[in-house]
Amino acid sequence: MSFPSTLTLFCRVVDNFGDIGICWRLARQLQAEHGIAVTLWVDDLSSFRRICPEVDVQAPLQQLRGVTVRHWTSMEGEFAPEETGDVAIEFFAVDLPPGYVEAMARRAPRPVWLNLEGLTAEEWVEGCHTLPSMHPRLPLTKYFFFPGFTPKTGGLLREAGLLEARERFQSDPAAQRRFLAQLGLGDADCAARKISLFCYPHAPVAPLFEAWAAGSEPVCCLVPEGVAADAVQRFLGGEAKAGAARTQGKLTVHVLPFLPQDDYDRLLWACDLNFVRGEDSFVRAQWALRPFVWHIYPQDENLHHKKLRAFLGRYAQGLDALADFSLCWNGAQAGEMDKLWPALQAETPTIAEKAGEWAQKVLEIGDLATNLVTFVRSHR
Amino acid sequence: MKPAKEIRVGNIIMVDAKPFIVLRSDVNGSSRTGFTYKWKMKNLLTNAPLENVFRGDDKFDVVVLDKKPVTYSYFADPLYVFMDEEYNQYEIEEENMGEAINYLKDGMECEAVFYDGKAISVELPITIARQVIYTEPAVKGNTSGNVLKEAKLENAIESKQFTIQVPLFVNQDDVIEIDTRTNEYKKVVRN
Repeated sequence: MSFPSTLTLFCRVVDNFGDIGICWRLARQLQAEHGIAVTLWVDDLSSFRRICPEVDVQAPLQQLRGVTVRHWTSMEGEFAPEETGDVAIEFFAVDLPPGYVEAMARRAPRPVWLNLEGLTAEEWVEGCHTLPSMHPRLPLTKYFFFPGFTPKTGGLLREAGLLEARERFQSDPAAQRRFLAQLGLGDADCAARKISLFCYPHAPVAPLFEAWAAGSEPVCCLVPEGVAADAVQRFLGGEAKAGAARTQGKLTVHVLPFLPQDDYDRLLWACDLNFVRGEDSFVRAQWALRPFVWHIYPQDENLHHKKLRAFLGRYAQGLDALADFSLCWNGAQAGEMDKLWPALQAETPTIAEKAGEWAQKVLEIGDLATNLVTFVRSHR
Repeated sequence: MKPAKEIRVGNIIMVDAKPFIVLRSDVNGSSRTGFTYKWKMKNLLTNAPLENVFRGDDKFDVVVLDKKPVTYSYFADPLYVFMDEEYNQYEIEEENMGEAINYLKDGMECEAVFYDGKAISVELPITIARQVIYTEPAVKGNTSGNVLKEAKLENAIESKQFTIQVPLFVNQDDVIEIDTRTNEYKKVVRN
């Protein structure tokens, strides 16, 4: 049996769907493409269910698409060494149950222990990626593993076949129309500039809606239920439930149900511009090869602005309108949507062109799951 | 036990039951849980260097070591020699000096730190005063302190001269107070 054959992934849901979104993709990919028996511990099954409707929120233990899912309800408990896997991954530096860590220390051979960190384009991660972190008391070493955009990082999550599936879908207008029709879009909506909107509540959505409504071309905005709730409700003049839609000026807003991950990918592929947030949708938008605007997860001391600027420094070179819009969208720079939007609109063909070059560059680093398995094998 | 975020360069920590001195610490923003601390360390038993990275809330036993007041005497490349009140001399390796090198001055008072009878590092006072030996001319009217410029500080060894950020009103030859934990300017103590 090849190493590793078992892996345990620990996920705490803080950012609603991003954390479990990433862990679920990674777990599935490790199982499906690398033949690893994956156990995913997750503390919030309700959030998980929004992106994977098969989840039973009452089940402490369940099998989903080949992955063992355990509801993580406590830090208590004792574990036998054989209950730990060949690999343990703490996602986003979550604390593992102390009993589990003790069991890892008693296991022979000891598991390879990774802290899978958050994605950032900052240069310093290159110096920390795969560095060891010795346990202060136990004979265990953890390794920091950073996803990223350069060959000195772990790369981005990307399943085998993802790009081919995207290519097939994007070159099949009938498939796109069928998909959009399922979401309630008519011919006029499909002919408009289609924009998906996923953001945190503090994004300046209301002035953007005004700019779209007063703009020169029809815009069809697709927003999942619960996202930008205040602005969407004001625009609709009623409850922002899935299926609700309204047109004002050039803007039509459609409220969508929360989509499972595979459908969300298709939504990104079908839209002309995507507003994404956090890490999971941010990465998927890059593989969609469509222009996108990132709403970054807010952090103390405006650390997220630094991360945003680092990404824009790599991605948006020569794309001034995208950089200005993104900085304003994230509160890192002042600006007015009635000026920023037309500039971004005019720049979208150039952004779309560069999106392909960018994806090619990131593709060459290899995908995160494969890089992670390669690293684990080298640290047996 | 002390969290990583409170551990300073020069501290001795126990990792896997072995004493390590922290020689350098680079702090960077990381995940939602806080900052990442990349430490260059040295095993005090084997002298083997090690680079590790920790989360800010990883906890370590900090070894409380013997300390003795000493004054800096001279540099005998690559050793820094300090002397106590009884004229005993202690040699400290350059790599163990950490950021103390930046503030080194003839006759400087500090505390030598001992492990197993051997001086292994020095600890500086939290606040230290040093003369600015070069900075761009002061700007009239700037008193807010929110705009900064570089100032080179006096140092016993010319090749180790060190710059910090100071407000625009600071002049060459001014003596300024610095927080040695953060290398930040505090105030002008003598014009």
